[in-house]
Amino acid sequence: MAERIDLEVPATLNALSTVRMVLGGIGARLDFSLDDLEDIYLATDELLRTALVADAPDRLSVEVLLEGGLLRFTAGTFKSAKLRADVTMHAEDCLDLCMLLRRTVDDVVLEDDDGAYRIVLVKRRKGGPA
Amino acid sequence: MSGPDEHRVNDPLDLEAPPGQARALTAEDEEEAPAHGGPVADAQGRGRDDSEKLDQYLLRRYHLYGDRTAREQLITMYLPLVRSLARRYASRGEQFDDLVQVGAIGLIKAIDRFDLSRGVELTTYATPNIVGEIKRYFRDKGWSVRVPRGLQELNIRLNKIIDELVPKLQRSPTINELAEAASATPEQVLEALETSQAYNSVSLQASPNGEGGEEDAGLIDYLGGEEEAYDTMEDRTTLAPGFAKLDKRERYILHLRFFEGLTQSQIAERVGISQMHVSRLIRRSLERLREEIGELDAPLIMRPSGDDPK
Repeated sequence: MAERIDLEVPATLNALSTVRMVLGGIGARLDFSLDDLEDIYLATDELLRTALVADAPDRLSVEVLLEGGLLRFTAGTFKSAKLRADVTMHAEDCLDLCMLLRRTVDDVVLEDDDGAYRIVLVKRRKGGPA
Repeated sequence: MSGPDEHRVNDPLDLEAPPGQARALTAEDEEEAPAHGGPVADAQGRGRDDSEKLDQYLLRRYHLYGDRTAREQLITMYLPLVRSLARRYASRGEQFDDLVQVGAIGLIKAIDRFDLSRGVELTTYATPNIVGEIKRYFRDKGWSVRVPRGLQELNIRLNKIIDELVPKLQRSPTINELAEAASATPEQVLEALETSQAYNSVSLQASPNGEGGEEDAGLIDYLGGEEEAYDTMEDRTTLAPGFAKLDKRERYILHLRFFEGLTQSQIAERVGISQMHVSRLIRRSLERLREEIGELDAPLIMRPSGDDPK
């Protein structure tokens, strides 16, 4: 059965550690390996840092959904075209946000929402115990 | 680098009385007192027995009669020992004089806590106290924000546990496995891992486990074999502006993680450092790149043009 956690935190760098701790607790429950957990930390950290600058929101809304061995992290809504481009467009031969996300999570999805959008990161358990 | 005796101790605690200013023993004392010796005197050719006799005499004066001049003399006599021990740690990113100050605190504690009835030499008792104080300083100083001692110690334990579990399990351990191995709760493990990001592991001479022990190999000892790989990788790499700010190892680790697709555990094994250290280096590297080129306004790194950096 799926379990959902909603978080709304101030749009500051300090608040990112709160998000990390929540993700860590959920990752532990999903029996994610340390490598997988580090990946999700890195992906969400870099995504939210970029969002803070590009979109300048007052608050950050985050939703974490657990289902089976899968963690689905949703942030937004955002309106910034730059953020959208950073997440979706990869410049060949460059380490940019798009590539960093590709290397650390299994799926990156943009969900449109009435002119704005949410960014969804999906991480599947794979490195932990069988 | 100048020799230890060329460094003057900046001495806010007034630990080191200037030569000639320490109050001389009284004539009565002098009759009882052995010839001036101590560690310095040993180096000057005076007998070890004389040194020990003087130590014991001064320790008795201090502990039995509260003679603080005797205490000052002991401190002065043993400062060369402090300098000698501090010198072993001087290449680890801290000022030599600061280490002497810290070591001197260990010496004072040893003198104050010395138990005359045990029949051991002051040198034997003072050395681990001095070294312990210096090591504690490195451990505390290494944390950029104040982290409770318990978490620091758990963090250090986890570092070792991860290194043991990865080869044993043939994969990266889970938080629950770490908690079990460390006899801690998953929450404590998560908190300790989070605090590890506050640790400054800058010095290549520093111990990889963060303890700074002299018996531990420094990170630099693990790196020799990788230098060639760094160079090859760099030859094939077009550098983006921020990339030049990173050292070879940081570039190599980012390359392995994001272009080669290795996990942190695999990188740790290849580079010969701990997984936690790889994690810190990746985060720190990204932070530095971000500072250098702005908040992801430009690509962080250009991809190496070759297929394999090796």
